[in-house]
Amino acid sequence: MSSPKHKLCEEVHFNSFYLEHLQSASNFAYYKGGDRDASLDYVQDAFQKIWENCSKIDPAKAKTYLFTTINNLFLNLVRHQKVVMAYAKASPYRDQTNLNPEYLMEEEEFKEKLRLAIEDLSPEQREVFLLNRIEDKKYREIAELLDISQKTVEKRMSAALKIIREKIDQVNF
Amino acid sequence: MDKENDILKWFEGELSFQELQNKYPGEDFSTLEKAAFYSKQIQVPTLDAQKALDTFKARNLKKETPKVIPLNFKNFLRIAAVLVVLLSSSYFLFFNTTSSFSTAIAQTETLTLPDNSEVILNAKSKISFNKKEWKKTRNLNLEGEAFFKVTKGNKFTVNTEEGTIEVLGTQFNVKQRPDYFEVHCYEGSVRVSTQSKDVILTPGKSIRVIRGQVGIIENFNLKNPSWLARESSFDKVPLWQVIKELEVQYDISINASSVDNTQLFSGTFTHSDKNIALQSVTIPLKLSFKIDGKKVEFYNHGSN
Repeated sequence: MSSPKHKLCEEVHFNSFYLEHLQSASNFAYYKGGDRDASLDYVQDAFQKIWENCSKIDPAKAKTYLFTTINNLFLNLVRHQKVVMAYAKASPYRDQTNLNPEYLMEEEEFKEKLRLAIEDLSPEQREVFLLNRIEDKKYREIAELLDISQKTVEKRMSAALKIIREKIDQVNF
Repeated sequence: MDKENDILKWFEGELSFQELQNKYPGEDFSTLEKAAFYSKQIQVPTLDAQKALDTFKARNLKKETPKVIPLNFKNFLRIAAVLVVLLSSSYFLFFNTTSSFSTAIAQTETLTLPDNSEVILNAKSKISFNKKEWKKTRNLNLEGEAFFKVTKGNKFTVNTEEGTIEVLGTQFNVKQRPDYFEVHCYEGSVRVSTQSKDVILTPGKSIRVIRGQVGIIENFNLKNPSWLARESSFDKVPLWQVIKELEVQYDISINASSVDNTQLFSGTFTHSDKNIALQSVTIPLKLSFKIDGKKVEFYNHGSN
C-alpha cells in the first residue's frame, strides 16, 4: 500500500494531473498577467514545483497548490508589462440578426472599451472577473482555487464591475 | 449594498438579468450586461497539453528526495563516552564517599575511624567503609586481619567474606585470610555470624572457621593480639595457614609440597627476623627449610 501522498510522485499520476489542469492553469496565468507567451512559462514553473515537492503535497490539495503557486510566481515578479487581451476571432455580436453598420460599429467600439477596461484592472480583480466570466466559476470555486475567502472574491468582483462600468460609461460622455 | 450583491448574484447566474431589472426598475444595467456578454469572448491561448507536457519533461527535473541522514553510531558512541566520563567522574566527585585503606606484605598500619575507633591493619589487609554513612551505621568491610578498638556507640559491624562481626564497643581481632577466619574478643562482647553459625564471644574467647568448618569457642589469655608485638601466635593451627602467614609477613613463597601441611602448629614466630621465624615454625615440627632468594622450601628432616 503506497501512501496516497506519493501518488503525485508517480509519473502516470503526475501526467494525468498535468494534462487535466494545464489549460485552466494557463488560462488563470493569462487572466492574471495578460501575457500569452509568459503564462505558459509560469504554469510550467508551477508544475515543476509540484513535481519537485510531490512527496510533500496532499493530492487533494494539489490543484489549489498549483494555482497559489502561479499566484506566488506573479508576486515575485516586478509588476509586469502591458497586459494585452484580445477577443476571439469570429465572435458573434449580441444581436446577430442586426447587420446595421452603425450597430456593428457601436458594438466594436464597446468591445474595445471593455477590453481596455479589463486590461486596466488589477491582476487580482481581473483574475476573479475572468474566471467568473470565461470559465463560469462560482465565487466559492474561485475562492477555493485561490485559497482565499469567498468574501474576498466577491469584493474583488464588485470592484472589477464598478471599474468596468465607470470606464465604459465615462468614455461614453 | 443590496444592489451590489444582486449584481454579483446575476454574474454568478443565481439571478437572471430580467429579475435584476425588475428589482431595480430605475437602473440601467445595459453596460454591465454588454460587458458580461463580450467579456466572455476574450480569447485565451489554447494549448496543446501533450506538447506542453513533452516540453515540461524536457526540463531538467529533479525530484526533491528526502535527505537520509544515516544514524551515525560513531557520534553516538562519542556522546555516550563523554556522558559516561562526566557521569562517573561526577559520581566519584560527589557521591563516592567510600574510604578504603590497605596494607602491603609485611606492613601494618594504625587507622582512626571517624568515631575515634581504632583499627590496626595487619599485613596485606584492606578495609573500606562509607564515610558519609558512618554516623548512622558503623559498617566496614575487611579483607585480611585487623585489630579493632571500638569506642562505645551504636552497632559496629565488620563484614568479611566468611561472616560478619557485630559489636557495640569492644576490642577484638579479626583475621580473615583465604579459607581461614578467626575472631578474638579482648573486651566487651562480640557477635560473630557465619554462614552456618551465630556465636557471641566474651573476653578471652575466640572462634575459628577453617575452610567453612566452624570450630569450637576456645580460650586464650593474651591481652592484645600478638601481631601487635610483631609476632604471630598460633594455637593448634594447620601448617598451611602458618605458611600463609609467613608469606604475608616476609614476602616469600614457601613450597611445602613434600611435607604434611595439615599438621597443627602451636607457637609463635617473630616478624622481625626471617630465619628465626622460619626456625621457630620448622623445628617444633621436625622440619627443615632451604632459602633460595624469595623461595623457601620445607622438607622433612633426614630426607634430601
